[in-house]
Amino acid sequence: MGPTMTNVNSVTPNMTTKTHAINLDNIKRDQGVRSLDQETIALQVKDLDLYYGEKQALQSINLDIPKNRVTAFIGPSGCGKSTLLRCFNRMNDLVDFCRIDGEILMDDSNIYDRSVEVADLRRRVGMVFQKPNPFPKSIYENVAYGLRIQGIKKKRLIDETVEWALRSAALWDEVKDRLHESALGMSGGQQQRLVIARTVAVKPEVLLLDEPASALDPISTLKIEELIHTLKKDFTIVIVTHNMQQAARVSDYTAFMYMGDLIEFGATDELFTTPQKKQTEDYITGRYG
Amino acid sequence: MEYNKDAHSDHISQKFNEELETMKSHLMTMGGLVEKQVKDSIESLIDGNSELAERAQATDTQTNEWEMTIDDLCTTVIARRQPAASDLRMIVAISKASNDLERIGDEAARIAKHAELLVSEGESPFGYAETRHIGNLVREMLNNALTAFARYDVELAYQVAKKDRQVDDEYKTAMRSLVTYMMEDPRSISRILNIIWVIRSLERIGDHSRNICQHLIYLVKGVNVSHSSLKQIEKTIKS
Repeated sequence: MGPTMTNVNSVTPNMTTKTHAINLDNIKRDQGVRSLDQETIALQVKDLDLYYGEKQALQSINLDIPKNRVTAFIGPSGCGKSTLLRCFNRMNDLVDFCRIDGEILMDDSNIYDRSVEVADLRRRVGMVFQKPNPFPKSIYENVAYGLRIQGIKKKRLIDETVEWALRSAALWDEVKDRLHESALGMSGGQQQRLVIARTVAVKPEVLLLDEPASALDPISTLKIEELIHTLKKDFTIVIVTHNMQQAARVSDYTAFMYMGDLIEFGATDELFTTPQKKQTEDYITGRYG
Repeated sequence: MEYNKDAHSDHISQKFNEELETMKSHLMTMGGLVEKQVKDSIESLIDGNSELAERAQATDTQTNEWEMTIDDLCTTVIARRQPAASDLRMIVAISKASNDLERIGDEAARIAKHAELLVSEGESPFGYAETRHIGNLVREMLNNALTAFARYDVELAYQVAKKDRQVDDEYKTAMRSLVTYMMEDPRSISRILNIIWVIRSLERIGDHSRNICQHLIYLVKGVNVSHSSLKQIEKTIKS
């Protein structure tokens, strides 16, 4: 008699079964490894040109940022990676002489459309900078700030969201007993995680991280990297980093930029072992220059 | 992207260049040593020279030490430099190739051991022609595998992989004729078994030489061709 769901003991070693066969495709799928064309796209950059005055800083960039994945931008200083990152929440609007052609689509609508409210866009696309910039307020108030701006007044809802955000940023256990102390008394690594908590509190769809760990010690850096890994299940993350090993460690996809051009974009595993372009190869192996 | 043959001389870090260069020259030195060990072991059998057999076995200790030295260097460079792309592939390929060379050394030592036994039993013509023939083939394969590695020559590497098939065919033919000898004269069984072990080791040396070539193709082309057919390998090197 064959085995049934309720009688697993009837499975004998000599019966022919395929359960021991290892299905590599399943393993890869479980690890989230898939090709770019199978991904859902969160942000789509189309023929993007950006000029600072006369100088062109980005040249016809075409790029798809996959949803719930970590995408890293790497490249030498001045290659345009931070500029491109800042396009995603229109931070470049703050630069007077900056002009942008092309489109960035989010949910099929162009974020540069006249009808788009920039404040609303920045709620949907949060950003964390190189240097932690907590407000000179308590830890609690830092995280609650965005919620209050949105007009949320219910204390219980704010309390819950602050706890959720601090837990998401792996900070709750360290600060739960001193939520009302000044955020400026925290260490650099804690401050950076607080800023991440403040950003995720308003539940954005995309998180932009501009060199988030470059001012931190190795242990804090690892905590941030671990955090990035856990956050990607809820958010689409785009990170700019000078540290190539960091890009290799945290990202699923990597874009290599050079002098305003997107040279190569692909799965991180492939880009760091078998890059397709010579410029990428030279840069990641330290032959650039 | 294809491997730049001058890659390890144009790195920004001069020290890193030197480390990669040292790694490769260690592998070549080890290769030379193993080649000599294989030559000694085969000649010890053909010429009935137990001195050569002893030397081939003694060389195995040195081969093992080289493998450990290369492995240590690879580990250190990975830890210190976190290499990527072609540098990483170079280190992986060298580490694997040194492992294959060490296994070739083991097989050579095994051949030498059987040669000693055969020499002590006295002269006999059984299987020597086959041994000589397959021995020449695998020595050529090993030599070409090392030359291909030295020059990053994937075409030559492909020729070595192709030759492995010939060795496999010769191995099967030799086995058939040795089995016939054994059936015809059961007194020769113990002696012919020793020859069979020798031929088996030679066939393994051929396999390891082919492996070295596959590591080289991975280094140069960035494609893993282990377990690939000759047709697939040919397609890879032409891409």
